[in-house]
Amino acid sequence: MSGRRISPFWALCAAAGVVLVTFVALPAASMIAGAGAGLLGEAMRQDDVRRSLVLTVTAALITTVIGFLFGVPLAYLLARREFPGKRAVEGIIDLPIVFPHTAAGIALLTVYGRQGVAGRLLAPLGIEFTETMAGIILAMLFVSLPFLVDGAREAFALVDERYEHVARTLGSSRFGAFARVTFPQAWRGVLAGAVLMWGRGISEFGAVVILAYNPKVISVLTFERFEGFGLRAAQPPAVLIVLVAFVVFLLVRTFLVPRRRRPKAGAP
Amino acid sequence: MIELRALEVEAGGFRVGPLDLVAGDGRYVVLLGPSGAGKSLVLEAVAGVRPAASGEVRLAGADVTPLSPERRRVGLVFQDGLLFPHLTVSANIAYGMRGAGRDGAGSPAGLAGNAPPGAGRSGRAARDAEVARLAEAVGVTALLGRRPATLSGGERQRVALARALAARPRALLLDEPLSAVDPESREELQEVLRRLCRERRLPVLHVTHDRDEAFALADECVVVIAGRLHQSGRPLDVLRRPADAAVARFLGARNVLPARRDPRDPCVAVLRAGGSLRVAEPLPDEAVVVVRPEDLRLSTAPGHGQLVATVTRLTLQGGHVLVGLEAPASLDALVPAGELDAAGIGVGKVVTVTVRPRDVHVLPAG
Repeated sequence: MSGRRISPFWALCAAAGVVLVTFVALPAASMIAGAGAGLLGEAMRQDDVRRSLVLTVTAALITTVIGFLFGVPLAYLLARREFPGKRAVEGIIDLPIVFPHTAAGIALLTVYGRQGVAGRLLAPLGIEFTETMAGIILAMLFVSLPFLVDGAREAFALVDERYEHVARTLGSSRFGAFARVTFPQAWRGVLAGAVLMWGRGISEFGAVVILAYNPKVISVLTFERFEGFGLRAAQPPAVLIVLVAFVVFLLVRTFLVPRRRRPKAGAP
Repeated sequence: MIELRALEVEAGGFRVGPLDLVAGDGRYVVLLGPSGAGKSLVLEAVAGVRPAASGEVRLAGADVTPLSPERRRVGLVFQDGLLFPHLTVSANIAYGMRGAGRDGAGSPAGLAGNAPPGAGRSGRAARDAEVARLAEAVGVTALLGRRPATLSGGERQRVALARALAARPRALLLDEPLSAVDPESREELQEVLRRLCRERRLPVLHVTHDRDEAFALADECVVVIAGRLHQSGRPLDVLRRPADAAVARFLGARNVLPARRDPRDPCVAVLRAGGSLRVAEPLPDEAVVVVRPEDLRLSTAPGHGQLVATVTRLTLQGGHVLVGLEAPASLDALVPAGELDAAGIGVGKVVTVTVRPRDVHVLPAG
């Protein structure tokens, strides 16, 4: 490093980065350090925390599976075809990103609540969305869907459509070309989108709490403990969920995201 | 056999055709034209990945226009090979084999005796043997375990070719297959293409903007410019006798000169830029005359030529020199380097230019 001068421009950029990284990393690190291993063990011994953790992770997983089943076909359509109203569809899918989440919960309640259209329709079938896991999934789905659809759309768009043309002349149907040629090239991006969706789901509070205060997902439990018993009581569930999310996120960053940036094989 | 009948293809307001074309079995037809002429659209329509706006695509005598690509049995090879990057070379070649006898029906009579590879008890072994045989035919045996990302441009094209052949196509469609290949490999690959077309009696439709490539490969050359078929015929005929000024210009004709008929002598072309040339046959009122650079004779002796010109530049081209002239029409002459020195021709010199009337080609104006 000695003898090489760093230009003030890059120094400025780096300084700005240091401020932001500290801003994000410090509270997370401080919370985890403050909690300590003892507190974590204690959290795992508490029934309500354990139950809440399982509920949160499971609900987010089911949400992601539903999002995958509906989101991947839509993402592929958006990546490949032009059609009237495409911009509107893309806008609507992205809408939850700018929706205040409590407002999203209220909006969902007007449709899926006991008085809502869908709520009244589904109630005789035994499907209710207030104070149920179905409600939690509904709220998570609403706020997290854009992450999967956008990620998958981008991943599909990166695969040259002519690969599919070649595959089809080699005898593959449209679905065959998608399954054997396009998806194997895009899966990392799709999976990255799915993990983001899952992560968004487990961290959701606002929309979930309006549809289903109970059963308590971890963010609701943390909030309730903070309100009722203060900071120390709220820390264990908070630390636990942050750790789970962090590990998953780290795995994704390590194994999925960098590979996606590799130059595409076959490019001239 | 590939047969196009009044085929029209449309993309974003751009229309190609109507195009009529026949490529018999074992015939190598090159669709030649500048970039953006719509050649690739034609190929896409033949492959079925783009619908025809009107007209017919026929393969082996049958109308395939309404068929989806997977039912047409054509092999498609693109400029960049487009090998499936997640599969090995061997798996790329084998990709289409699973479906080679596809749908049970639709298998042409010529293949009826052959069990499709992968169909029998020892399906896997048969498939491996077929992959090995094709790899051998295109010279990629050593690469079978490799990933596409590690191959050179030429190697990719060979693999893409083997992959296309593995599905036992009834026709081969090649979209600029040599453009991403380095010059040395290009010649070898041309040889492979010619051989496969001949040996397998496949009709080939090859799209390119490269004239040399077209002339090296084609049995028949079809020139498409701005979506319109301008000329088709044997390469030498197209090269020697372009149908119109657009084809002549595209084929690299240097001296393309707008002219009109001399009212006193129908066999004299008066050049728009000045000067006149004698032609072999009476020309129309308005025309374009084309003279190949090697057909211009230069002399420093005054008074013997049809045009008087000033030498503006000299460019060495192999053993020849391209001589830029102002006559005052702008002309290029190609002269053996030795001849030029002997005649003492240099920049700024005034020379007389002679052309034999039968070397002046008259084309319709526009």
